[in-house]
Amino acid sequence: MDFTLTPEQLLIKDSVARFAAGDHKGDNWPQFAELGWLAIGAPDELGGFGGPLETLLIMEQFGRGLVVSPYLSQAVLAGALLRAAKREDLLAPVVEGESRYAVAYEEPHARYDPAQVATTAVRDGDTYVLTGTKVRVLDATTATAIVVSARTGDEVTLFAVPASAENLTVTPYASEDGHDVADVRLDAVRVDGASMIGSFGEGLSLLGLALDHATAALCGEALGLMAVMLEATVQYTKQRQQFGVPISSFQALQHRMAEMFIEVELARSMAYLAAMTLDEQHDDSVTRARGISAAKVQIAKSGRFVGQSAIQLHGGIGMSEEYKVGHYFKRMTLVERLLGDTDYHLSRYLECRRAKAETPAEATVA
Amino acid sequence: MDLAFSPEERAFRDEVRDFIATHLPDDIRRKVQAGDPLVKDDYARWHRILHERGWVAPGWPVEWGGTDWTPVQRHIFYEEFAYGWAPRLLPFGLNMVAPVIVEFGNDAQRARYLPKIHSGEEFWCQGYSEPGAGSDLASLATRAERRGDTYIINGTKTWITAAQWADWIFVLARTDPAAKKQEGISFILVDMRSPGVTVRPIQTIDGGREINEVHLENVEVPVENRVGDEGDGWTYAKFLLEHERTGTAGIAGCRQQLATLHEMLERESIDDRRLNERIAQVEIELEALAFTELRTLAAESAGKRPGPESSILKIKGTEIQQALSELALDALGPYAERHVAPKYFNYRKTSIYAGSNEIQKNIIAKRILKL
Repeated sequence: MDFTLTPEQLLIKDSVARFAAGDHKGDNWPQFAELGWLAIGAPDELGGFGGPLETLLIMEQFGRGLVVSPYLSQAVLAGALLRAAKREDLLAPVVEGESRYAVAYEEPHARYDPAQVATTAVRDGDTYVLTGTKVRVLDATTATAIVVSARTGDEVTLFAVPASAENLTVTPYASEDGHDVADVRLDAVRVDGASMIGSFGEGLSLLGLALDHATAALCGEALGLMAVMLEATVQYTKQRQQFGVPISSFQALQHRMAEMFIEVELARSMAYLAAMTLDEQHDDSVTRARGISAAKVQIAKSGRFVGQSAIQLHGGIGMSEEYKVGHYFKRMTLVERLLGDTDYHLSRYLECRRAKAETPAEATVA
Repeated sequence: MDLAFSPEERAFRDEVRDFIATHLPDDIRRKVQAGDPLVKDDYARWHRILHERGWVAPGWPVEWGGTDWTPVQRHIFYEEFAYGWAPRLLPFGLNMVAPVIVEFGNDAQRARYLPKIHSGEEFWCQGYSEPGAGSDLASLATRAERRGDTYIINGTKTWITAAQWADWIFVLARTDPAAKKQEGISFILVDMRSPGVTVRPIQTIDGGREINEVHLENVEVPVENRVGDEGDGWTYAKFLLEHERTGTAGIAGCRQQLATLHEMLERESIDDRRLNERIAQVEIELEALAFTELRTLAAESAGKRPGPESSILKIKGTEIQQALSELALDALGPYAERHVAPKYFNYRKTSIYAGSNEIQKNIIAKRILKL
């Protein structure tokens, strides 16, 4: 066990930190491709390197810089999906930054559950006809194709639908954190058989793995968000004077900040643990899912506490649009619910636990 | 960065697991499983077994009988205690006074005390808190007056675990009443059989008798029993407290508690969604804390001394211990089997001892966040 970063990991961390600290508005996708950030986890022959830990390092810095980017969806989620489906042919242009896949899996009333699929794919000769509605699709407007989960009888199968496909409607809407979100409607969209991602009926297992990768990455972003909120709060309370002294001298506030610190450290542990789980448990989907859901539950809890406390301790200025901490809080609030809220992940954790039917002590071995 | 246990670490884990399974006496294992209090002889027997194997003092320097394990190995070692229902040995000699003697004592003291702590021949207890000095420990009033080569000690120490079994007590006493609060304190080793030492048991709300008050009345102690320099006791006391805190996360103990809780639920056929979710939340937090401890240990391996970060482990570890004892009580109800409520009552102590959790938050605020 070794927690020091390798020189390569330090290099990534530093270069992402520089990017995140600078002006990162607009579409930085070509730059991401050039820096190799789209190749994380890809096979060697595509120039790939690193894995979940490198993704965590990138996302943590994105969190610190409050970077609004399709990286989570188009690089991490779609990348994991295409890797798991062994589609190197589709992955190559993704690594180059030329193809960009959004993943449309959630449906109205599904409450985060990717298995709740009403969208259908009906076979018609060599083609499939897709009909249904997907909600809260991340980064569909900049995607060249959208991966859609659809029911093919009892099973769920994935299809890549070109963004330009006929009868495909992408309706973007405003989000609280500036991220690109849309609903996607498919009114008998026709795709050819080659657009199937993975094999027939493999949709849910592929999605499960890819969503776990995305969730782990999101935990990394949350860690960055929390760390900045804590630092900002410490700094602010040291300079803000009331009753003739810095308010950081008040014990009520000190204890709250100490609690924030503890939560950030617990979150950091769980973010690492999530990355480790992905590294080690590729073949054991239940153990993997339990580890990832555990991480998300902890991150959500810590993030909410740190965020709410940061606003509280800043006082009025924390409520103001022009000050940074409120924006971190807003993103954290959405991250808490993104890719499954605490109720969802707690239920999933318990299901995994039950499925394993391990002794409880064994179940918590790190 | 490699977050997984290495093959060597896994092999070590198996070795420890096997040793505990084959060497821990059954009656002790059953007591730990049932939550029954252990008696002195239980600790002594387990101590001797570990001593024979050379595993009694993992954290000590090798020349005094330490194991030269990495911090991660030490962590694995104590995790295995939990899985094998082995009791932790009492820390007062092995993990508290010994590191102070190693670090700040002289050669004669090391030779006199360490071997007998190591062999288990001498039991120790800790003389820190006083009726008037709890969180504000430096305000302690126990006085050690020097007369030639002897200190005359007068005062009362309280909340002392295992004093009724102890051969020795390490005492913080004021040697210079004129000096500033923290500066006039010395660290003195007192033989419990000295005339003037009396032990009075304190019964706790759970019915237990693990703690005591120790009165010191004109107790004569040779000056050579002082560790380090006169007046520097506060420095040694703080050193010891940081050592103490790393252990108090009690991750292994939490795992035992959790396993017991799940066994109870199964035995009673309790399957309540709300309760399961609350247990899961604590379980997840325990995972987060266990990994946090590993990160602290890894930093220690890289040469860092245990620092203020150990306060996180103390706060969160004790909160989890309390939460688990509360969940057990919730699960089984008000007149549950005999250990459940007493354990809950008993565990209120955890957020108070070894520096209350509020004091730990002060430490984090001042020393980490620099507030």
